[in-house]
Amino acid sequence: MSTTAVAHAHAGHPPTTTGLDHRKIAIWAFIGSECMLFASLISTYLIYKGRSVTGPFPHEWWCRATKATSAAGPIAGCPAGELFKPILNIPVTSQSTFVLLMSSLAMVLALAAVENNDKPGWAGPGWGGRLLESSKLWLLTTAILGAGFLCYQAYEFTSFIHEGLTIKTNLFGSSFFTLTGFHGAHVTAGVLWLLTLLAIDIKRGLGPRDALLVDISALYWHFVDVVWIAIFTLVYLIR
Amino acid sequence: MHHRFRPRRLARAALTVALAASSLVVAACGQYPNSIFHSRTDTNRDVGFLFEILIWFGSIVFVVVEAILIYTLVRFRRRGVARTPEHVHGNTTLEITWTIIPALILVFIAIPTVRTIFRTQAKPRSDALQVEVIGHQWWWEFRYPQFTMRSPTGKLDTVVTANELYLPQGRTVSFTLKSQDVIHSLSMPALSGKRDLITTHVNYLWFTPDSAQETAYNGFCAEYCGASHANMRFRTFVVSPSDFQSWIAHQESPAAFTVPAPGQTAANNTAAAQAPGGAQPQVPAGAQVQPNRNLNNGPLSGRATGTNGPTVPSAGAPGVGVPANAAPGTQTAVAQAGFIGFPRERMPAYTLPTTPVPADIQYSDPFGDPSRGAQLLMQGKGACLGCHTIRGNPSMIGQIGPNLTHIGSRTTLAAGLFPNDARHLALWIKNARKMKPGVLMPTIGVNEYDPQLGTTMKVGLTDQQIADIVAYLQALK
Amino acid sequence: MATTAAVPTYSGTSEHAETGLWSWLTTVDHKRIAALYLGTSLFWFLIGGIEATIIRAQLAFPNGKVVSAQVFNELFTMHGTTMIFLVVMPLSAAFFNLLIPLQIGARDVAFPRLNAFSYWVYLFGSIFLNVSWFIGSAPDGGWFGYTPLTTLAYSKNLNIDFWVLGLQILGVSSLAAGFNFITTIVNMRAPGMYFMRMPIFTWMAFIVQFLIVLAFPVITIALIFLQFDRFFGTNFYEIAQGGDPLLWQHLFWIFGHPEVYILILPAFGLVSEVLPTFSRKPLFGYPVMVYSGMLIAFLGFGVWAHHMFAVGMGPIADTVFGVTTMLIAIPTGVKIFNWIFTMWGGVLRFTTAMKFAITLVALFTVGGISGVMHASPPADLQQTDTYFIVAHFHYVLVAGSMMGLFAGVYYYFPKFTGRLLDETLGNWHFWLFFIGVNLTFFPMHFSGLYGMPRRIYRYDAGQGWELFNLLSSIGVAFQAVGTIIGFWNFWRSSKVGAIAGADPWGAPTLEWSIPSPPPDYNFATIPTVTSRYPLWDVKSPALTADVPPGVVDRGRGRTPPTIRIPTARELGIPMPNPSIKPLFAALFMTLMFASLIAIHKDKVQLAVALVIVFAGALTASLYAWLLTPLEDEH
Repeated sequence: MSTTAVAHAHAGHPPTTTGLDHRKIAIWAFIGSECMLFASLISTYLIYKGRSVTGPFPHEWWCRATKATSAAGPIAGCPAGELFKPILNIPVTSQSTFVLLMSSLAMVLALAAVENNDKPGWAGPGWGGRLLESSKLWLLTTAILGAGFLCYQAYEFTSFIHEGLTIKTNLFGSSFFTLTGFHGAHVTAGVLWLLTLLAIDIKRGLGPRDALLVDISALYWHFVDVVWIAIFTLVYLIR
Repeated sequence: MHHRFRPRRLARAALTVALAASSLVVAACGQYPNSIFHSRTDTNRDVGFLFEILIWFGSIVFVVVEAILIYTLVRFRRRGVARTPEHVHGNTTLEITWTIIPALILVFIAIPTVRTIFRTQAKPRSDALQVEVIGHQWWWEFRYPQFTMRSPTGKLDTVVTANELYLPQGRTVSFTLKSQDVIHSLSMPALSGKRDLITTHVNYLWFTPDSAQETAYNGFCAEYCGASHANMRFRTFVVSPSDFQSWIAHQESPAAFTVPAPGQTAANNTAAAQAPGGAQPQVPAGAQVQPNRNLNNGPLSGRATGTNGPTVPSAGAPGVGVPANAAPGTQTAVAQAGFIGFPRERMPAYTLPTTPVPADIQYSDPFGDPSRGAQLLMQGKGACLGCHTIRGNPSMIGQIGPNLTHIGSRTTLAAGLFPNDARHLALWIKNARKMKPGVLMPTIGVNEYDPQLGTTMKVGLTDQQIADIVAYLQALK
Repeated sequence: MATTAAVPTYSGTSEHAETGLWSWLTTVDHKRIAALYLGTSLFWFLIGGIEATIIRAQLAFPNGKVVSAQVFNELFTMHGTTMIFLVVMPLSAAFFNLLIPLQIGARDVAFPRLNAFSYWVYLFGSIFLNVSWFIGSAPDGGWFGYTPLTTLAYSKNLNIDFWVLGLQILGVSSLAAGFNFITTIVNMRAPGMYFMRMPIFTWMAFIVQFLIVLAFPVITIALIFLQFDRFFGTNFYEIAQGGDPLLWQHLFWIFGHPEVYILILPAFGLVSEVLPTFSRKPLFGYPVMVYSGMLIAFLGFGVWAHHMFAVGMGPIADTVFGVTTMLIAIPTGVKIFNWIFTMWGGVLRFTTAMKFAITLVALFTVGGISGVMHASPPADLQQTDTYFIVAHFHYVLVAGSMMGLFAGVYYYFPKFTGRLLDETLGNWHFWLFFIGVNLTFFPMHFSGLYGMPRRIYRYDAGQGWELFNLLSSIGVAFQAVGTIIGFWNFWRSSKVGAIAGADPWGAPTLEWSIPSPPPDYNFATIPTVTSRYPLWDVKSPALTADVPPGVVDRGRGRTPPTIRIPTARELGIPMPNPSIKPLFAALFMTLMFASLIAIHKDKVQLAVALVIVFAGALTASLYAWLLTPLEDEH
């Protein structure tokens, strides 16, 4: 990847010290900074875990009428409408996690397609090869999968609100919505970025010369994915 | 002009200056009542030892560094035709030297530091006096949970006071620190280091005052806590164990002025009417003397409840004091003889507040009748009952503001801001918000301008009503 | 002047091809952006200084009546916030901008338009923060903004809103600049400019960028929590809901302590440039200076809780944070000794820049020693929140950072303007400021040890504090007069100062090889670097030994020589085009944040509408910016 970046440097400019494009260095610095951002958000979530004074709770049943909680199952004798089940829907979120992971795969394919755009047939013969060679297809797939993840998140948020959990309800609600909302905002920015690349691709075609553009968006996209793995593990899976 | 430069003389002079400076710090405690170098508690002695180490090492490092620097500047300044300096890039031996020497100094600081950390944060003695400190915007609540009593209704009450902390000499006091609102910090530099009062955490602090001297200390809030952070002060009185017992016994008693039955009139209170100068606005703060007890009469009996006679201020103090605490018929059964509050004539000058009073609060200073004042409070006038408790007055059960049961025996008002005399109390009731910015206490005087609401109060108490209430409160020894 | 293949030099100065307001609004030249940073931060230094003067007027005597409690609280909050975020950081950024490309032999920073964006965000953010004065609602929660005092329950007006939003805006500026400078230093060094040949200022700047990039996200999150609590009803610091005010303190100080090094390391870097030049000796122990800077920065992330000894963390935490804090004293002490031994054996010229630099060495030591005193938790419990702390950090920030930055201003003024600052006025500036600083801040050690709490707007007579407070207040008068003289010097000398020439001081590093002020492309050919002190290597040692000091040349008001130097186009050097888009992006971003204020005026729909409009405008300007190439095609 780095060789293409060097090739992109303007003729009139001296070569960079590392041989890498400036944007590649900058995106790494940015990702380092983002690590501290998400570390602060995730730490806050973990510090506040189990400190909410009212439900609903992520992993426990909760009865508003008696303020009783139960990790085991429904609370007997809790009036209808006062009983809240554990609010995290792990099966559904597992699906959205899978969708986001698949988007990273598509991102890898998009980058490969752009880098090899000048070598027709590089992906092998047949329609399978042609599919692999289509950077537009993979950029679009990545964006669609990212948007799909956002749809899952929108569904999750609205169902939580219906179940009585908003950003104002308790500490869990505040830290959960802020953490996952920030991640969602990053995914949204990523989808916009991908769609912009797609538009450029459609307009004039992306080739090895532009590989850096796709490369840095891929770095960002994979980073956002990795953050989600951390969130999914720490928020959803670990009780 | 070329003086011969003598580095040794310079170093000696610098050392002398540093020593003089550090001895100034230690020796000058007398003029500095809030100095951290007062060693009248075990904690402050421990910390003082640590400070001695820190100041010595600090001074030595300072003198050495500055001496080398000044020597370098003088020795190597450009003179006449410049030489070509040798381009030295470094020296490993030197680098290692000035890494190791500071490291060694730090070891000498770190070891006593860690020992002091663990000593001062160890568990306090089990027989320690327990004091609960609750920070409020902007006043201090001190509770003594080891001293409880039943109210007439059977409720368990604790000895509680505001902005005045009484501690017995020689007994370890263990504080439990909490906050009602924002973060505050308990600071009594002459006695101990600070601890924050945090809304969600309980903090602890302990120390043992010496037996040497009965005196008063200033205390402050040290954590910025809003508009009147500067006005959140308190006084600490370290008294003899017997005086402390006597004070506690008095605090356990209900308010020393019973509420007159409806229909009882001010005319009954002839004693009050005869005591002149109930409210004397012209008397300077420091001159407000309330001879509750003459401490010069010798040691007190160590008993909690004295038998030395009634607590009515001596009649032989003309022109001073407040109305006697009411007519004989209205006095409660508790006739507290002993020490009920630190005698004002023995208050050190630095504990006497000098806060100026806003010039624009007009008060006509009528003569106040304590009995009428009590009735006004019963009727809910001024809404005092919404916030304040007076144990023994069944209508005064508010929980927000300071407990006023024994307000008459306190030395200051409004968290150490003003002397507790009739004039300041009246002005405070009339327009507290002009006297202490941001305060929760509402503006109670009628036609007074409330600086927080930005309006003039249409309803409120007249000067006469305020004077009556003041008379009543001052009677609550 | 010597011209060599390795280090080309020119005589004369360039004429800016473009002048006028528009050229400044659209500039992407790092040197012009540096000048903008310099001017703006010096302006805020005056404002912050006026705030300090009012504070000291109020405290000169017991029970002062100059200002009300509320105004006093706003003054000390804004004084701290201004001096940290609007003065020392951007003044350092002025030098980052000017010097990083010049010192590493580059023609600009990596992202010139992002650089302009950083400046405009800083400018608009600083204006937004200070607009609060005019609506009578300046921030009043202290620069540290402790919760729950800053939550809606205890601060219902707009004061804290301005602070929360203003700091977030300013954080964007610092972060964007951080990414930019990291990339510049990693990727734009001239051939042969290995890391261990970089001038020490660039090294310190490099370390500071890492601190910024890693520490600012943490305060951003802390501020976002507070903002959400205040605007959207979340519970992060809501006591009744189980929220913990100590969360704020931890997040704030995880940022706050690295911030201390963000404030001081640039000054350390400047002093490390000034001392060798005026000693005519290389920096003593260059590698140790680099590694100690890294160590200070690294340890700086592990000591935040020493700001919190009074919150009661327990003896174990007190011990750990106390000892790690003491450790920082070692690399700092090493720096002090290295500076002194840089001068040892040299030929010292006491120019104004040198005097400011020496003062940092002399007085930072005082702040360092009191710093070790706070590192001992039992002793700190007596010092914390007293004037002893105020004395300590002003010795670090004024006698340290500001002295270093003033040294930088006097030393590098030629690279900003092509002219030298007047040394006579500079002498007055220095001595009055030096006396003022010590007179103001040294007595505070005593008022602190004698128990005077911080942040109080009035105090009683008879507490033993009168003398020290009066001395402090008198000291401020000295500082004020010194500053006014200094600023007059800056203003006047920028118009009529002596023409500096490329290298008025006989300095060793690359920036002095090119004209003052440098042409827009900096280096006609990119130099090849063969040592840490290329100019000293190039000039003969004899030249190095007695360079005619520029200060001797008092050709005041002399017009610049009319020798024309070639333009970028003539040399075939590609230059970035000016662009107004960064300014618009910064403006719309600031307005987007500012719109949230409407929520607390009970105009939620208006706020939402404004945020959407400005977010759209921001996105549009970002797209317009990113889709326009930086340069014309060649």
